[in-house]
Amino acid sequence: MNAIQILLIGGVIAIFIYYIARFRSALVDLIILSLFSIAAIFFILYPDETTVIANKLGVQRGADLLFYCCILFFLFIVVKLFARVRRLEQKLTEVIRQRAKDEATVPKDH
Amino acid sequence: MSSHINPSEVYVVVPAYNEQAVIRNVISELVSCLYNIVVVDDGSQETLNNYLHDLPVFLLHHEINLGQGAALQTGIEFAKEKNAKYIITFDADGQHSAADIEQLLEPLKENKADITLGSRFIEGAQHNMSNKRKQTLQIARFINYLFTGLKLTDAHNGLRAFNQKAFANIKIKENGMAHATEFLSFIKKNKLRYKEIPVTIRYTDYSKKKGSTIWSGFRIFFDLLLNKIFG
Repeated sequence: MNAIQILLIGGVIAIFIYYIARFRSALVDLIILSLFSIAAIFFILYPDETTVIANKLGVQRGADLLFYCCILFFLFIVVKLFARVRRLEQKLTEVIRQRAKDEATVPKDH
Repeated sequence: MSSHINPSEVYVVVPAYNEQAVIRNVISELVSCLYNIVVVDDGSQETLNNYLHDLPVFLLHHEINLGQGAALQTGIEFAKEKNAKYIITFDADGQHSAADIEQLLEPLKENKADITLGSRFIEGAQHNMSNKRKQTLQIARFINYLFTGLKLTDAHNGLRAFNQKAFANIKIKENGMAHATEFLSFIKKNKLRYKEIPVTIRYTDYSKKKGSTIWSGFRIFFDLLLNKIFG
């Protein structure tokens, strides 16, 4: 086993444990995460297998295929996070607005 | 001019963010016209209460800075709850003239329009604007046209007047500066009758510093784009 393989597998396991310890999430999430982690470890150990899949999809190298998938995945995450930030912003606005109206200073003759 | 509008039915909403230097003069000018004044302090670093506490105004305070669009929405909602008949939006940086408000109200009063918008570029308007700023506003006009289909002579003029029909359903979601375009979409969507009114704009060194630049134009454009995508 190469040094890089140990490093990557260690990373995958660390993220897996961190996720389980930090977010006590639903069983479905756990299963999906487990599958992803197992797949990741498999491809780290047998990187040539990615090339087989890549060739079937018309990409020459497995590493390239992985790279394209990563770009797509990160764009997806960015969009998701952005939508969430916007939702939070809207909620925050509502809360601050309500407080501002409730605590308005009123002129004396009103 | 037809019969006068009772100034107590008119609520002037002034969104203000760090306008300590001029806010007192601006508000005093409005106070002398006897309108109800709603100042929305949009999280200014130094609370505007220190400058306005002895003036007869409604002072609302956002705990954090949300943006001009958000401040306008807060002020409009507040005025609505106070049973306003007409609502004016008015910039806090001293570039608008309180005397123009009456002209803006006139078409509403005569029921010829639901919303009137101040314009720097139609006949009768006065401004001392640089060419560079004019070009920026031309681009802004085009963007507005792109997003709303309304072609106005002025793109981002903060002086507007609404009647009850116009402000009843207004809901500004753009917290930032893109709200100016949102107002136009709102007009279009609700099929409101609008009219542009020439107004006097005073460009002082102070207001120039705070005004929009090409860069803020880009920001507005992207805000609008994102709003279209994410709703």
